Amino acid sequence: MSKPGNFLTIGGVDRREFLALGGGLVSAAFLAACDSRGPKSAEKLLRYAERKNLGVERALYRHTAIDVVQHGAHDAGNKLPSYYVSPTVPVWDESARGKWALEVSGLIGNPVRLTLEDLQRLPRVSNRVNHYCVEGWTAVETWTGVPFSELAKFVRVAPEAHYVDFQSFDDDYHESWDLESAMHPQTVVAYGLDGKMLEPAHGAPARVYSPVKLGYKNTKYLTKIVFMPKMNGGYWSDQGYEWYGGV
Amino acid sequence: MAKKRHHWIVRVTHWVNFVAIVIMVGSGLEIFNAYPAFARKGELFCCYPFEHKPVPDWLTFGGWLAGARNWHFAMMWVLVVNGLIYLGFVYLHGEWRDLVPRKGDIRDSWQMVKFYAFKRKDHPHQGKHNALQKTAYFLLPFAGALAVLTGIAIWKPVQLSWLTAIFGGYVWARYWHFIAMVVIVVLSVVHVFMVFAVDPYSLPSMFTGNYDENLSPEARNARPFYHLFPRRARVTPAPPPEAT
Repeated sequence: MSKPGNFLTIGGVDRREFLALGGGLVSAAFLAACDSRGPKSAEKLLRYAERKNLGVERALYRHTAIDVVQHGAHDAGNKLPSYYVSPTVPVWDESARGKWALEVSGLIGNPVRLTLEDLQRLPRVSNRVNHYCVEGWTAVETWTGVPFSELAKFVRVAPEAHYVDFQSFDDDYHESWDLESAMHPQTVVAYGLDGKMLEPAHGAPARVYSPVKLGYKNTKYLTKIVFMPKMNGGYWSDQGYEWYGGV
Repeated sequence: MAKKRHHWIVRVTHWVNFVAIVIMVGSGLEIFNAYPAFARKGELFCCYPFEHKPVPDWLTFGGWLAGARNWHFAMMWVLVVNGLIYLGFVYLHGEWRDLVPRKGDIRDSWQMVKFYAFKRKDHPHQGKHNALQKTAYFLLPFAGALAVLTGIAIWKPVQLSWLTAIFGGYVWARYWHFIAMVVIVVLSVVHVFMVFAVDPYSLPSMFTGNYDENLSPEARNARPFYHLFPRRARVTPAPPPEAT
């Protein structure tokens, strides 16, 4: 799949558009029988629908909507699946790359490089929240780290910044977010999991974590956070998964 | 004589619904296969005997998880808007009278069961639909509404957490979403079976709108695979006697 296209259009679907979308999808589906992925001609329509859904989802988004763990839910503990795209667990090799630091750059007044100790000196929260995976499973864990909004305050985000790209040292893995989801009170730059320092299997030294995004949006093995005027796709969103991936 | 049976809005929404349901079920099962279980990680789930057993590939649509999700999240609008058009039409145009349950439906349903089980010789008298059929058509929109609401609940479990909570939280909402799908599939499969086994004459009527009551299951005294053809050639009215 190619790039998900321009996501900047936000708005509802009017009746004419709906009829076009519905008619197109229905006839596309009829043609689809021979190819289980659906016909190529449908891809445009699917991407159109994704753009419209993006508008609906961003309109639905509220900072005040908070993820609450259900009463009686158990922590996943070591049942939390670990995930990375490299052939082996990505580990920051200090002898080769020097001390790890998180570079925060882009449309900000105070570009910084933060070591793990620097991150730990910034305001800290621990959130016991759900992990929503795109595959359909959920897992309860406690994530400890810097609230993203505190980090944003610290680096003085410019008003032109509307998107944030979370980049990693896990091959070319990255995912860009809309700024409002990043500023959600439960979004953290996490360095702790279940009361311990984050382990390599789960994204050490630091990763972004938020219950308002599907798992694949929560980049592990962070190296860079870049504030941007436009969205910048992502590892999975460039391959066909929804760019927004909001929960 | 062929009589008007289905308004064009009913015919169009029926076939759009057919395509939408096939795509929604196929892509839904592809999504399900990414995690063919309901348990939260680190827990067990009480009420599904096939945890971690994927459904067969030939039932799935979309090719891979992202493809299936894209189809699912596009087709959901078609399903919902089409369903609302149908329900709005049926309400405003009076067709709901043929579908809502009435006093005597339970008795009539029982008589239909007896007829199909050869415990009764003659087809019970019916209106547009027999009592069993009517019950199925009446239930389908409720299963559809459950599918849509539970679908929204697992699409937005944080932003619309109040809705997810109504269904017992994410894990249960996902379960009810699955159950709603099963109900819709069962009703649809039985519906298609009955069309071919009892009333194949109703199939063209869903395209043309016209239906010959002389060929109805009641007129043919038809059970599944019994009396598919009319009992005798239709009586053509005798020509009027010539005036002398």
